[in-house]
Amino acid sequence: MAQHKVNYTQDGGLPVALTSIDKIVNWGRSNSIWALTYGLACCGIEMMASGASRYDFDRFGTIFRASPRQADVMIVAGTLTKKHAEFIKRLYDQMTEPRWVISMGSCANTGGMFNTYATVQGVDRIIPVDLYLPGCAPRPETLQYGVMLLQKKIRANKAGNAQKPKRLM
Amino acid sequence: MRTYTNKKNVQAKPYYTDRFWKAPQVAKYEVESDEVFAADLAAIKAKFPVSDAFIQVEQMTVWINASDIYGVLELMRDELAYTQLSEMSAIDFIEQRDEFEIFYQMLSMTKRKRIRIKYTIKNGQAVDSVEKLFRSADWSEREMFDMFGIEANAHPFMKRILMPYDWQGYPLLKTYPLQGDEFAAWYEVDKIYGKEAREEIGPEIRDTSTIDRYDSERFAKLGHEVPKGTEITGDEPKNEQNYQEEGGVFLIKKFDKDSSKVIDDPQR
Amino acid sequence: MAQVKNRLSPFFENITFDREDNELILNFGPQHPSAHGQLRLMLHLQQEQIVKAHPDVGYLHRGMEKMAENMIYNEFMPTTDRMDYIASSSNNYGFALAVEKLVGLEVPRRAKVIRMMLLEINRLMSHLFWLATTALDIGAMTIFLFAFREREYLMDIIEGYCGARLTHAAIRIGGVPLDIQDTFISQLKTFLDKLPQNIKDYEDLLDQNRIWLMRMEEVGEISTEMALSWGCTGPMLRASGVKWDIRKEEPYELYDEVEFDVPWSDKGDNYARYRIYMQEMRESAKILYQTIDMYDECVKKGETELMAHSPQYISAPKLDIMTQNYSLMQHFVLVTQGMRPPVGEVYVATESPKGELGFFINSQGGAYPYRLKLRAPSFWHTGILTDLLPGHYIPDVVSIIGTTNIVFGEVDR
Repeated sequence: MAQHKVNYTQDGGLPVALTSIDKIVNWGRSNSIWALTYGLACCGIEMMASGASRYDFDRFGTIFRASPRQADVMIVAGTLTKKHAEFIKRLYDQMTEPRWVISMGSCANTGGMFNTYATVQGVDRIIPVDLYLPGCAPRPETLQYGVMLLQKKIRANKAGNAQKPKRLM
Repeated sequence: MRTYTNKKNVQAKPYYTDRFWKAPQVAKYEVESDEVFAADLAAIKAKFPVSDAFIQVEQMTVWINASDIYGVLELMRDELAYTQLSEMSAIDFIEQRDEFEIFYQMLSMTKRKRIRIKYTIKNGQAVDSVEKLFRSADWSEREMFDMFGIEANAHPFMKRILMPYDWQGYPLLKTYPLQGDEFAAWYEVDKIYGKEAREEIGPEIRDTSTIDRYDSERFAKLGHEVPKGTEITGDEPKNEQNYQEEGGVFLIKKFDKDSSKVIDDPQR
Repeated sequence: MAQVKNRLSPFFENITFDREDNELILNFGPQHPSAHGQLRLMLHLQQEQIVKAHPDVGYLHRGMEKMAENMIYNEFMPTTDRMDYIASSSNNYGFALAVEKLVGLEVPRRAKVIRMMLLEINRLMSHLFWLATTALDIGAMTIFLFAFREREYLMDIIEGYCGARLTHAAIRIGGVPLDIQDTFISQLKTFLDKLPQNIKDYEDLLDQNRIWLMRMEEVGEISTEMALSWGCTGPMLRASGVKWDIRKEEPYELYDEVEFDVPWSDKGDNYARYRIYMQEMRESAKILYQTIDMYDECVKKGETELMAHSPQYISAPKLDIMTQNYSLMQHFVLVTQGMRPPVGEVYVATESPKGELGFFINSQGGAYPYRLKLRAPSFWHTGILTDLLPGHYIPDVVSIIGTTNIVFGEVDR
């Protein structure tokens, strides 16, 4: 049996930590952000790349889930078309609270280069968005930085309060 | 006085056109200059009237009558070995001649030749479906119906394919604007929230130069953005990219930029 | 607030159960992790067997053909990136070639060699991505991680060339904008030297894998007649017994100068397609080795031209624009008003990683195309699901969608 010595006086050595409920809940929420795979177009490929070998999203506790019931954050990666718009609303409604939305890439932010009859000009017309990532397509690093900013945002909130409805443009 | 707009063609126009410029033609060659094409054309001509035929950019274009299309494609598939229908669609000439040009792009894999069959139909007329000959026409004709409103006779499932079933208007007509009509602009809002939500959600922002008053300035200069309205002196302090809060995060070790390792070799 | 409530009716048509004939209608998509994008399938089921399939596409229709009619030719180039976004340069190339044929441009040899390099790198990227996602759908997570690792190295090379990982816009009408960077060849060689071993690793994991074989062999069989009738091209057609590769049969660029084989099979099932993709990666590597030699030859001969010389259609090199008045004027006109190709029609097909990528352009002599039709191979590879899926079971749907290699940017355009 392995023997190890625990230095209780050192930082993190104590098996006891005193904190507030807020902090512990937010710590749990912010460090296991499970993302709903909402790969719609090109950005979805970069989202996959950020989950794959080189960028390895798992180390941030971010695991892609296929079901909205298991997801905390919806990463809308790609162009949202008018035909698809109702489904994004349905899936957003199916997510359990607290829930967040990251709009990834120009198309999801504003419609981007597709200023045409068939694209929704920004996903924030349908669902409220917490974070907008620029780029066409954003690099995996951008997505990872975005998720870290989301973690910061989660930690800044009171855990006990119900989420207020967000501004919809 | 309102400026004149051409309602029959609302597509973008070049801001300047040279009145005296006459567009050259892509060179057309006689069909006789290619043996294979000449034989194919003779076989088609023997059974169906052909109004025009020429070779343009290594491919033969054959103009036929609209009613012959099924017969011509059947002949080409069964006797001339044009076994694949690569593509078919329409071109809108309503403004000029009140008609559509329909083209069928055929490929023969044994002869390594491509032929384009073309004919015109009047606006509002339907085409004959070739879905029985080539299954690929099933989806092509649906797409043509979706984009131009041209129906195909005897098609098994003549419904929209790319746009939603309840869509109004045919997007690829020259009369349809690139950014859609009013129905298109409010489609998703009407469908999800109902018409009364239009006011709350507001119109689409399609002007690419719109800037929100909350936007920062110099957002292209990463790390040196300032709030809108700030007087820029040029030496604003750098906004550090912080992954964690200043006071540290509960149970998590503070990330130290100095102790992180940068990997230089991309082929590591 | 508006976003709290909505007026969408409950989605009960999602699953209906008809007691009389015991037929179940299952909705699959449009947002499904193994649908490779926004594919929606309506499946009529008898127990677990599919009796009727109805693919519904258009969830990524962004109106590219309409955009093309409102843009000058050069402006449309970045839009083509977003068609088959796994292999962007092949779309750039298809469009550039179509316009070049329309106006009759001759591209310098060095640009041709660079284009071929980009095309084959894109083919490798696309095939590696195909392998990764298909294997992931079938359950082989290891392959996903392995194949993505190799793909990232290729992306590094491309990024060094054009600055983008995914949407390259690396090819211009009339040539290429830049010469390849100094590290390009050495990085590529390092990658290519490792590639055979990598492909062997994948094959060791998959070829004799019992699960893989059961999901792949004799599943999704496409007969030659069906493939031809549905307009299948590329690996889909080659797996069904037609040895047809546009690079070989109607050579463009310098493909008639390089040695490569066209893998084909007459089985028509998923496994045959898998074998063809693996073999094509080897052939691409073979072509890339030859293009490296061709590039070295170009350097030795001192050919430095990268863009075609045609003042009417193509801007002069940057040095001329900066130093010569007439070149600057020409450049200004070409950028603001756009080139005006002659009146005529052209259909040009190229072999993209997915199949025959065709661009049909009807020009009326204006600066904007009068009609541009994008012939994307995946459109018909999705359509064939109508006839292919009946008779199969639900788990086969995933593996069949995987091996058809459909990309929805291309299907819906």
